[in-house]
Amino acid sequence: MTTLGRILVVEDDPNDVELTLIALGEYHLANEVVVTRDGQQALDYLYCRGEFHTRSNENPAVMLLDLKLPRVDGLEVLQQIKTDESLRMIPVVVLTSSHEEKDKMRSYKFGVNAYVVKPVDFHEFVNAVKELGIFWAVVNEPPPGSMKKLP
Amino acid sequence: MLQTAIGPRDPCGGAISGSVTARGERGPDHVGKQVGFARTENSEKKSVTMSDLEEPPRVLESGVGMKRALARWNQQLQRIHSPILRYSLSVACVALALGLALALQHYQFRDVELPVLCLAIAIVTWHAGIGPSVLAILLSTMSFNYFFIEPIHSFAVSTKDLPYFITFLAWGALVAWFSTVSRRIEAGLRLARDRLQTEVEHRAQREDEIRRLNRELAKRATDLEATNKDLESFAYSVSHDLRAPLRHLVGYSELLQKEASSSLDDKSRRYMQTILQSAKRMGNLIDDLLAFSRVGRAETQNSLVSLEQLVKEVVAELREETNGREIAWKVGALPACYGDRSMLKLVLANLVSNAVKFTRMRARAEIEIGCVDGKNNHEAEMFVRDNGAGFDMQYVDKLFGVFQRLHLAEQFEGNGIGLATVQRIIHRHGGKVRAEGAVDQGATFYFSLPNAQDAVERIRHDHTGTHFGR
Repeated sequence: MTTLGRILVVEDDPNDVELTLIALGEYHLANEVVVTRDGQQALDYLYCRGEFHTRSNENPAVMLLDLKLPRVDGLEVLQQIKTDESLRMIPVVVLTSSHEEKDKMRSYKFGVNAYVVKPVDFHEFVNAVKELGIFWAVVNEPPPGSMKKLP
Repeated sequence: MLQTAIGPRDPCGGAISGSVTARGERGPDHVGKQVGFARTENSEKKSVTMSDLEEPPRVLESGVGMKRALARWNQQLQRIHSPILRYSLSVACVALALGLALALQHYQFRDVELPVLCLAIAIVTWHAGIGPSVLAILLSTMSFNYFFIEPIHSFAVSTKDLPYFITFLAWGALVAWFSTVSRRIEAGLRLARDRLQTEVEHRAQREDEIRRLNRELAKRATDLEATNKDLESFAYSVSHDLRAPLRHLVGYSELLQKEASSSLDDKSRRYMQTILQSAKRMGNLIDDLLAFSRVGRAETQNSLVSLEQLVKEVVAELREETNGREIAWKVGALPACYGDRSMLKLVLANLVSNAVKFTRMRARAEIEIGCVDGKNNHEAEMFVRDNGAGFDMQYVDKLFGVFQRLHLAEQFEGNGIGLATVQRIIHRHGGKVRAEGAVDQGATFYFSLPNAQDAVERIRHDHTGTHFGR
């Protein structure tokens, strides 16, 4: 018996974090949401090190990744994930303000699973995040190893 | 002076012996005075003798030319510059040769005196020039006459001596000729070397210049690149950082509206609505501005584009807006051209959607898209004509400016960036834009693409051109 996978949100802006959580909450998703505030923290979480060394080591079901982050930026995190044998199967969705061609190109080159530009309009934003959450955390069958085994 | 010296000898070389003897006797008189130009003139006179012997009539065509030729000739012959040294060499050589000849004769070697003296004459001629050479010839002749010709030990001259004298003279002339030729070649080589040297120096200078210009160019390119990078990072941070607070503004306003709208009065609700609208409008402005800046920065990917096909696509995409309206489309034949497809499509999309927008109040809108042949430079000019709101020609300059609008937002929505984008794209393709119109009588927007006509020709000539959708 398995339970729903976690959603890992990597976002430095507290307002964006709140809006994302509200948007995810709108649909009453039962998934556990973990928020990390920069790229370094996100990698610490994925590798179960630092403050996360005690967590159980399953991968998140989906990762919502901002590109502009303090310390280690989103593209570096993405590159690290997609070149690591144990992490590369995690679906990564880039959720960013950037419309820039360059960012899209590089993200897809590194193997991102989806690229979503945060809409200015709040309704659209809520819808986008909601749909992302539903699709990746519920509809999509995540790769084995990203579910928490129930005792 | 020279003329008179040459004059009597001009016609023929008949009196060679007499004239040369007379000359030779005069020669030594000048030895003491041979400084500066005097030396040259003196030597010139002697050289006449030599050239006379070689090719008498041809060299003497004109006095001035002759003078110049002789000066050059004599100069070419003189390798030792001091006159005293030159004449000393002459005397010493003949004396040495004579001593050697007498010594050899003493040891019973016969008939060596002539070659030995010839050798002396050759050395003198080669190294010292014509004056000393003549002196050497005279000395050789005299000593030969005195020591080796019957009657021995007398200067008695007879016609039998003439062959020896002529032999010396001819030999001297021959060596002089060789010497001159060799020196001429040397001079030529030296000249060529000098020329080469100057050429090399010039080239080095030019290369320095080129290097300097290259450095300047490289610096300018670096500056430009830096500016470009600045611009890019500016656009990037606008894209990233400016939109985030805006999104929060909208997001929290909407949340507030949702949570508190029941407790707000109408006025407050209207304020809230205005905040939201303004924020959204700003979002659109930023997006449009970013798109506009991308048009300027993006690399163009050129291919053969059929404008007719693009118009079809654009009109099809506008169907949603044109639904329920009566629009008479009139699309003429359009050329194909080389350009960036997506950019050119943006041009047509902007122009056509403008036409649709500004004909909104017409019961029957007429939109014509076509092509006119340029009158002056055969440049094809495409146009989009409508019978809509039009504009006042006195503001035509503002039409293509960024954020320039000629209508109120209540009348026609828009950011004033569409035509600026059109102009930027067409300029990047090397074309021109212009507009004609009158208030309430519609407007026509023209754009030209410099290679459109070429492409048309190419398609006409090329039978495979049919797959471009014509």
